[in-house]
Amino acid sequence: MAIAPGTYTLGPADGTLTVRTGKGGAAAKAGHNLVIEVTAWQATLDLADPASAAVALTADARSLRVRSGSGGISPLGDEEKASIAQSIDEDVLKGGAIAFRSRAVDVAPDGTLRVTGDLDLLGRTRPVTFDLAAGDDGRLTGSTRFKQTDWGIKPYSALFGTLKVADEVEVGIDARLPPG
Amino acid sequence: MVELDHQFTTGKDTAYNWEAIRDLDRLIPCVQGGKVIERTSPTEAKAEIKVKMGAMSMTFAGTVEVAEQDEAAHTALLKIKSREVGGQGHANADVTFGLSDGGGSVHTAAKITGKAASMGEGVVASVLDGLIKDFTQRLGSI
Repeated sequence: MAIAPGTYTLGPADGTLTVRTGKGGAAAKAGHNLVIEVTAWQATLDLADPASAAVALTADARSLRVRSGSGGISPLGDEEKASIAQSIDEDVLKGGAIAFRSRAVDVAPDGTLRVTGDLDLLGRTRPVTFDLAAGDDGRLTGSTRFKQTDWGIKPYSALFGTLKVADEVEVGIDARLPPG
Repeated sequence: MVELDHQFTTGKDTAYNWEAIRDLDRLIPCVQGGKVIERTSPTEAKAEIKVKMGAMSMTFAGTVEVAEQDEAAHTALLKIKSREVGGQGHANADVTFGLSDGGGSVHTAAKITGKAASMGEGVVASVLDGLIKDFTQRLGSI
């Protein structure tokens, strides 16, 4: 479904922005695949004029919260989830800036937006491309994968380097378009 | 049983290395997460080690004993016996040091049971290998 022309502002009240991580290393069995929610973010879709459509997003690096973990030796409890959030704050993102700004937005006949732009992560800017699909019910979904090392981030590791967060992470949005 | 061999350099002479590896108050903190709880004799200590496994951690508590020492050959056997705090596992190891001028060798024969062992022997060997390499790198500064 094509999104009606207009300017839309979305945030946590309209949907979820999640980061999914995998695991690797010799002791990968001990780790969990994580679903982490970004709880403070704001996105704008400027679709007033299809010729100059733009998408932008900012996120608070200290707002990541672990929602679930699968595949470990034992289930993730609240204490472990809080410990991971602390590690993200202190060792990985360190409260750095997260911002995306589109350079081009192409609207496909079915209404899907092909967004190409720059992701600024902790001071390093790299291009990313993703699709945003709009459903008949106003649901907006999209995801992209990228490698942490492309932004100079060293994937978190433990157990003397035998348990690692996989370099590639998936970031996804699942939201409902507010009135434009 | 997992058996591993490592070489290490300290940059110190044999006499210094010999004193250092038998001084449990200095040696045990060289293991990441390890600390002395109580010295029970000149050759024995109660100790614990906390191993972080990502978000989770396991603590093993027990004894470290300098069980055999041959000053002429500069070899010593340390026996470690521990059990998982709040769990069913054990971590026991015989660690044999052979010292020379500037460094030495360490042979580790470890038996791990319980939750940690459920990851498989290959994983346990990889983690122990990382732990011992980290340990031996710190020996030069004690």
